[in-house]
Formats: sequence, structure tokens, C-alpha cells
Amino acid sequence: MSASTENTENTEHTGNTENVTENTAYAAPAGLIRRTFRRRQARIGAVLTLVVVAVALLGPLLGPVLTGYAVDDFAGRPFRPDGLAGTDDLGRDVLTRFLAGGGPVLLYALAATAIGIIGGAVAGMLAGYSHSDGSRLDTLIMRGGDVLLSFPQLVLALLAVAVLGSSGLLLVLVIGITHIPRVARVARQATLSVVGQDYVLAARMYGVPRRRILATEVLPNITGPLMVELGLRLTYSIGYVASLSFLGLGVQPPAADWGLQINENRIALIIAPWGVLLPVLAIAVLTIGTNMITDALAKESADTTGEAA
Amino acid sequence: MISPTAAPFTRRRLLGGAAGLAAAAFLAGCGGPAAARDAGPPRRGGVLRVGVTGGGASDTLDPHSPATNPDIARTLSLYEPLLHWDDAYTLQPAVAEAVRPEPGARAWTATIREGIVFHDGRPVTPDDVVATFARITDPDDPKSGASQLGVLDRVVVAGDRQVRFELSEPSPVFDQYLAEYSCGIVPADFDVSRPVGTGAFRFEAFSPGQQSAFVRHDGYWRPDEPHLDRLELINFAEDDARINALLSGQVDAIDQVPLSLTEVVGSYESVRLLTSETGAWLPFTMRVDVAPFDDVRVRQALRLIAGRDEMVNQVLSGLGAPAADLYGRFDPQYLDPRREQDIERARDLLSAAGKPNLSVELVTSPIQAGTVEAAQVLATQARAAGVEIGLRRVDTSTFFSDQYLQWEFAQSFWNTRNYIPQASQSSMPDAPFNETHWDDAEYQAVIRRARSELDPAVRAQLVRQAQRIEFDRGGYLIWGWPDRVDAHQAYVGGLVPNRTGLSLSGYEFRKAWVAV
Amino acid sequence: MTSTSPLTRLILKRLLVSVLVLLVVSLLIFGATLLLPGDPARAILGQQATPERVAALTEQLGLDRPAWERYLSWLGGVLTGDLGFSAATQGPVTELLGGRIAASALLLVLTAVISTPVALALGAWAAVRRGTRTDSALSGISLVLAALPEFVIGVLLVVLFATSVFQILPSVTIARPGEPVWARPDQLVLPVITLALVVIPYVIRMTRATLSEALDAGFVEMARLKGMPERTVLLRHAVPHTIGPVAQVIAMQLAWLAGGVVVVEFLFRYPGIGQALIDAVANRDVQVVQAITLIIAAFYVLVNLAADVAGILADPRIRTSGGVAQ
Repeated sequence: MSASTENTENTEHTGNTENVTENTAYAAPAGLIRRTFRRRQARIGAVLTLVVVAVALLGPLLGPVLTGYAVDDFAGRPFRPDGLAGTDDLGRDVLTRFLAGGGPVLLYALAATAIGIIGGAVAGMLAGYSHSDGSRLDTLIMRGGDVLLSFPQLVLALLAVAVLGSSGLLLVLVIGITHIPRVARVARQATLSVVGQDYVLAARMYGVPRRRILATEVLPNITGPLMVELGLRLTYSIGYVASLSFLGLGVQPPAADWGLQINENRIALIIAPWGVLLPVLAIAVLTIGTNMITDALAKESADTTGEAA
Repeated sequence: MISPTAAPFTRRRLLGGAAGLAAAAFLAGCGGPAAARDAGPPRRGGVLRVGVTGGGASDTLDPHSPATNPDIARTLSLYEPLLHWDDAYTLQPAVAEAVRPEPGARAWTATIREGIVFHDGRPVTPDDVVATFARITDPDDPKSGASQLGVLDRVVVAGDRQVRFELSEPSPVFDQYLAEYSCGIVPADFDVSRPVGTGAFRFEAFSPGQQSAFVRHDGYWRPDEPHLDRLELINFAEDDARINALLSGQVDAIDQVPLSLTEVVGSYESVRLLTSETGAWLPFTMRVDVAPFDDVRVRQALRLIAGRDEMVNQVLSGLGAPAADLYGRFDPQYLDPRREQDIERARDLLSAAGKPNLSVELVTSPIQAGTVEAAQVLATQARAAGVEIGLRRVDTSTFFSDQYLQWEFAQSFWNTRNYIPQASQSSMPDAPFNETHWDDAEYQAVIRRARSELDPAVRAQLVRQAQRIEFDRGGYLIWGWPDRVDAHQAYVGGLVPNRTGLSLSGYEFRKAWVAV
Repeated sequence: MTSTSPLTRLILKRLLVSVLVLLVVSLLIFGATLLLPGDPARAILGQQATPERVAALTEQLGLDRPAWERYLSWLGGVLTGDLGFSAATQGPVTELLGGRIAASALLLVLTAVISTPVALALGAWAAVRRGTRTDSALSGISLVLAALPEFVIGVLLVVLFATSVFQILPSVTIARPGEPVWARPDQLVLPVITLALVVIPYVIRMTRATLSEALDAGFVEMARLKGMPERTVLLRHAVPHTIGPVAQVIAMQLAWLAGGVVVVEFLFRYPGIGQALIDAVANRDVQVVQAITLIIAAFYVLVNLAADVAGILADPRIRTSGGVAQ
């Protein structure tokens, strides 16, 4: 496998990981994060993200207090301008539904990201580690990844929903699994540059088991790219979860959910725009926020290693 | 759909694109409305372009198995049954000038209208009628019109213009079955590739899933009709696209404006709304043979939980009327009862049934505009009574898969029908679509008697009795009668409100004209 | 170059790998659709089908044969251009998809044709003015755009140009029967802009990054020191070094578009294969789902292959180590 191939697939629709994976040594995560948030961009991103997270977490409690309606209460007939943001397709209060609807997106996106990062890191480290002793495991993992990579993530999710029906768990699993090969490529590349280091070779010579080497020697040294991947996958997960709900294949009614809310209310965009605009803006602000942090992380990670090199 | 061929079955093909309101959409606010000009008096000539909901690649011109709205609209333009339901939902002669029962109602005789001709100019003969019914009830390939003709034994020629229908049991309402649009009369040598009927319009072109075109049938029997020279039916899978096409003047009329958007559409100066009361209903179906619905107290409790006015408001934007668990709104014997929401009594009933914290799963699907919304409203209302209704949303094809008629707690929709024909479709053990598995001995006895009772007064009394039984222990939760709202350009005339549940004056475009 | 040159071998190897991947993908798709609930024969015939007719059709469709046999015959069909039979249309899948593939391809091509030059120009501009306010503004905008899911961009565009703010563009595609989508160019504007806005930021960022690197590199400095005008330096010396990576990014964006059109077509009611896929998923139209996912996967694999080959050809290390000049 050529270096350029790796690079190709790492940058697959990310725009963020340029030059990150080729570096050799990485800083400890705590220091990286601290330095990242010295950047203005990261701080803005953090504020944006926190605002939306706060809305998602506090909204379900605040909504009824602010508007006087519970999530499922009927405030009037459908698509009327009653209340601050009007009513939705069933006559429920749009603002209350909006405030209550951030939970699923965040939760599912976090869970999918966790699956993708953990699975991808393990697979990538194993592949990278076994590459160095010429084991077939590397080929096996990476070729398996190639198969998964040959579907656009959303198309694979559609196929899964078609076969298994839509449920939150499935959503999380499918999106998480489609992240795995993408994360694995980055993790493998980073691992490759670590396993040649003296301390790893030494550990191997002393017969330290593979699991321990990976956990204590390799993992701490590839946290930089993994952090970047984490941010990136989180941003994409938010997009995919929301997109699937928007297509009507994700979160199901009568749950309050931003993607679903957009789906339910877009027929009346012209008369009752808030039912669409509020969730759209929230998702936009959230993904912009996480992406700004991720970008700052990537830059910081690259700079750090650049200095080290 | 007035066809007793059961809306539920035919709709399974309506699928995907026609998923109704739930499918949702954007409206383009632009589109220059044409200058408002009124229709004025009837005028001969012109073209009418109609946007029709739904349809798809499986669209057909078969007169006897129309499935989607565009299919039905085409069927009603090309073909005519012996009788037909008019705008007020009363029976009127069509291809037959009269259909009369013999004493005992075990046989009926239809007399073919004098001088009526097919599109190719040939007169309609008794042989054509016999062949038509042979085609519908072909045992190897029964058409969707066949299920309501179960009592029909044989059709024989009984004179120059007479056809005799011999039944296996007396049926005083058999003429109602003959009026279904899926019983259109076709020539004995009918071939669907050459779709010839007696309808007001002659076939010109057809591309499935897209559009069809028709031209005036000059030999049509109704004087002065059709007014139009040409009719074009255009499929629109999506609500927004259809409305957009109307507002931008791409089409002259559309069916089924989503009820929550009628105000917006109606605010256009150039557009007229056509609102029809209908006897259509969107019931919740509870299977009376499985727990917990085998306990009549549970069924009644759920019926008391439903706040019907609220459902009409939230689901139908107030465009409709509350119902009370009975169908057959326009049947002369319709009891028109009330059932108000009564959470306290519902709780009591559930406690008495030993299920104070009832938790059930409701299978919902966008099988018709408003079904998923109604399920959500019911679930919300149930929470107030401590009943947890979990929604399981499936897509339309899953809903009408093998499991259809097996769902324990689900939904359905039906169009206007009188009481006995409807009961024969959905509430009897031999009914093709007994969604609730309703199997009540007393009820069956009453309906069997009513079906063959010749004395109208006694029959009326029996029909009322049957309704009382269903009101007290049936498995349907019927919460409302949705209005049908269509829209057309101001320059389109002749389309009037229609009770059948079919859009745009029952898709009878022979009545329509366009002003210059 | 000879057929045994390392470069050719490398490319052939990638090709072989792609073919193998596609084969596994086809297995995966076929296996997945086996799990679809419902009986296809019954789905085609409808509720009132008699058991005899269901049995007959089951046999006719070969549903009674073992799965591997069906897989082979399906694969054989795909390779000979027969994508199967659609339950919804009662006709060949190819007939259903023909016009839609063209429609989706039109979106793709228009997006690529519009976004590529715009993105390259903006990326180059940012690179030339790196460190200035222009550069950071462009980076900021592309960072924001890159973060947004495509339907969010699409909805915001609709609000802006079709419904709430200005009402100058149609928000949905209405294909009159028998009319190709390109007959109404105004309906293409918003879908294409949406897709372009999703794609452009990545190309901008990559162009800027690689071009900046090249502009700071020694050989470009050298050219400058020789007194060449900056314009010539840029076009003659810097740009050629960015072709490889940028071509790769563009190819990958194209590949991404194959999946991205699904949401955008749904949003704008655009009659392409993405919408057909969503319909087919809802209709449980198995063979259509198979066909479309396979087409998208094949496109994806092919474009990625093209990107790899471009990368291999453009990578000086490989080129020189293989001893082959282009």
C-alpha cells in the first residue's frame, strides 16, 4: 500500500486532517487540549458548541417554563403563529418542541462517535502493529475497511434501515461502524510511526504482551490524531443522525428531535418557518462549533509535531 | 374511494411518494398566479389539466383494478358502471337506465340505456355486461371489484337490453355494489391495451407514473357533456409539487390540498378551494380476539380516552367533524351518536379490567394523510389516562404486507360507504378486510338478517340495532370525518362538493369546463 | 512504458483490489437484501393474490432456488446490464433507472463543472494572499461550510432564495411528464448550489494548503530570485506541484457527491437515483435497492480508484522510484 493511497483516504471529505498523519510523535492529550484552547478559533468553537449543548440539556426543563406548554401539549391548530415561534404540524408549540429536541441528536452522535473512535483505534493499532511484523492481520483489517469504505456512509445507513427498520440503536451502530475504517486508517498510520520507536521495540524484546504495548506505549502516543478524528467524527455523526431523521428514517415520531422536526414542518416553511429554522440553525451552530474546535486541534497537533520533528 | 373493493387493499400500492402529509414538503412561494377570471357559464371546448395525488410506476388503465388516485380518476373518465353515486351520495342510473330487484331480491335485472355506445361507436349489449362481470370475477384472476360481488352467482342475458343478476342469497342492496367505479362496463372483447368504455372521455395517451390524456367522447349519452375537448391527468407524488404546480398555473386543478395548508392556498386570489364533507374515516383498529382488546372494557376505555374534537383540530386543522366509532355517515339510518372524552370513566373501566396501567403498541404508517398524526395525538391523550401507547411506525408496504389484518392495534382508512356494504367489507367473519377480527354472534345475526331483509322499515331497524352493538363493543375507534379539500383555478367551473370521498367532484371531469 | 513497469503494476494492483472490493460489496448488498422482510412475490402481486399465483411467480422469479444460485444469476445479470425486475413498476429496473441516472449525472456534472474552477480559484487566491485578511476570511467561511450537513445548507438556501427572504427560485423540481429535468434550468439552481457549497470548501482548503507549501518551497524561491514575475512563478512552478493532491481531492469530492445527492434530491424532490433509492427503501423494492446501492458503490470505488491512480501518477517519489517519467 502506497503512502499516497493512505493519504487519499485519510483526507476523504474531511479537509481537516491535512498533514496530520504523517507526523511522528505526538504530545500528551492534556497539553494538546490546553494549547488548542489558547487559539481564538477553538474558544469560539467551544462557545458555539456549549450554547447548543446547553439548549439541548436544559431545553427540556426550560421549555415548559418559558412557553407554558409541555412537549406534547397542543397549543392551537397546526401551523398557526400562536406563541413565540408558532405551532407545528400537529399544533404543538414549536419552541417547546425545539427546546426538547436536542437530546437525541447529541446522544446518538456521541454514541456513534464513541463506537467509531474506539473500534477504529483498536483496529488501526492492531493493523499498524501487525504490519511491522508482516502479519496478515493488517491486510485483513484494511481490506475489510476498503469494503466498508466503498459505500458512502449515508447509503450504507439507508441499506441498513431498509433491512432492519429504523431504531435509535441501529442508527448509532451503523454510523459508528461506518466511522471505524476511516478512523482505523488514521490510527494505523499513526501507529506505524510509533512502533518503530526504540521504546516500543524494547518492550517487544522484553516480551511485553501486545495488548499492553498497544495500551501503554502506542495509544498515549497517537492521541493527537485520535483527538482530531474524534472531533471530526463527532461533527459528521451529528450531520448523519440529523440527516437520517430529516429523511424520516431516523428518530421516529412523536419524539421531539431536531431532524424529525425539520421533516415534519418543512411543508409549511412558507407560513411557519420557525419549525424548520430553529432546528436547522441549532444543528448548524453545533457542527460549526465542533468543526472549529477540531480544526484548531488539527492545527495545534500539526504544529506541535512539526516543532518536534 | 366508494369502491367496496376496500380502500386498504388498493392503497398498498399507493406507497412511497404518496405517503401523504407526512411526506411533507416545501412550498415555493413564487409562481405568478394567473389573473383571476371567473368560470362563468358552462362553455364547450378547452383543455383541463389536473394534478392528481399519488400514482406510480404501477399505474394501470384496467377498469376493474384501479389502485391509486390517478387510476381511479382515469377509470372514472374512461368507464362507467351500471349505476353511479352522485355528488350527494345517492344512487343514480348510468349505463343502465334502471336496475330493479325481483321479488325476494334474489335476482336483479338491469336494463341497458337505450342508444348508449362505447368509444368505438358500438352499442352496449347485454353480452358486454355479462362479459364485464365475468372479467371482474374471473376465478383465476379476480379483480379488485370481485370481493363485494361474493353473493353474485351468475349473470345472464335476459332480453335485448336486459341482464339478470342471480344471487346466492337475497340482497336488497345489491344495486349499491353495481355502482362501484371498479365495475365499469367494457366490451366483451375488451383489451386493456385498447381501453374502450362508455365514459365521457376517450383514451388518447398514457405513461404510467406520469400522465395520461383523454379526448371528448362525442357519442356520450349525457346531453351537453363533457364540456371539455381534452383532459390531462398528471401524477404528483408530492404535496408541495402539486400545490406549486397549481399556484404557478402549470395545472388547472389539484386534488387533496393538505388540510393544514388550505388557508395559504385559499389566500391566492386566482384559486378556489373546493371543500367536501365526506363519509371517509381513519379508524384505529383493535383486534377483539387478542389481549388486552379482547376485554370490551379496554376497548371502551380507549374509545373514551380519544378526544375527538381535539383530534379534528390537531390532525385535520379543524376541517372535519368528530365521529363516534360508527361508520356509514351518509347512510339514512346513521345513528349519529356522540362520545365525549371521559378520562375518569376510562380509568374506572381499565381498573375494572385489571389493567390500570395499560401499555400497548400502536402500529402506525403514513397510509393516508393524517394517520401518523392521529396516532400521535391519541398517544398524547392516552397519557392523561395513565395509558402508555407506544408508536411503532412502519412504512406503507410493511403495513400492507402479510401482517396487514394481523396487527393487534393499528390504523386503517376507508371511504364513504353505506352501513351494510361497509359491514360486509370490514365487520363480518367473511369480510375480506375484517381488521378488528370482530366476531360477534349477535351482530352477525343482525347483519345477516338485514342483508336479506326486504322490508325497508325492518331493515332500517336492523341497521340501527347493528350500529348500537358496534357502538357498545366494536373494535373500531373512529374519531372523525375528514373533509376533502381540493383546489382549482377560478376559471374552472362545474366542480362541486362531493360526498363520496373522491376528490374534485368525484373525479367526474365531464362536469367541468374552463372559461376562455 | 512496459507492462512490467512498477508503476503499471501498482496501478494494476489497485485495479484488481477495486474489482475484488466491488465483488465483496455485491455479496454484501445481496446478503443484506436477503434479510429484507416480506415476500417479494406477494409484494408484487398484492394482497388478494391467490397462493397459486404467488407460487408461480416465486418460481418465475427464481425465489425458490438457493441463495447462492440467485446471487450468481443476479451478478450475471448485473454484468450483462440486466439489473433485475422492480416490484413497484412491474418492469425492468434499467427502465426505471435510465432517466434517473441521467438526471443524477447531470447534477453531478454541473456541480463538478461549477465548483471546481471556483474552488481552485478561491484556493489559489487564498494561497497567494496567505496570512492576509482575505485568506482568513476564506478559511473561516470554508470551515463553516465544511461543518454543515448538506440538508442544512439546502434548507437555508431555500429559506433565502425560495420562500422567506427572496422568492426568486423554485424550491422543488417539478418534472412535467416526459420532460427532461434540464428543460427547466431554474429548478436546477438550488440543488446544484447546495452540492457545490458542500464540495467547494474541501477543494479550497486543499488547494490553499498544497499551493502555500509549494509557494514557500525552495525551488519557487529560486525562481523568484531569478527575477521571474510572481505570476509566472505561480503558474509555471508552484501550480504543477499541486495538481496531484488537488486532483485527488476533487475526485474524492465527486465520490462523496454520489452519496450526497441522496439527501439533496430528497430535499428538492429531484427525480434522480437518490430519491429512487429512498422510494425503493420505503417500498421494499428489493432489486431496485440492490441496483442503486451497487451503482453508487461502483461509482464510489471507481472514482476513488481514479483518485488513487492520479495520486500515484502525481507522486514524484513513486514516479522516480519506478524509474518512469510521465
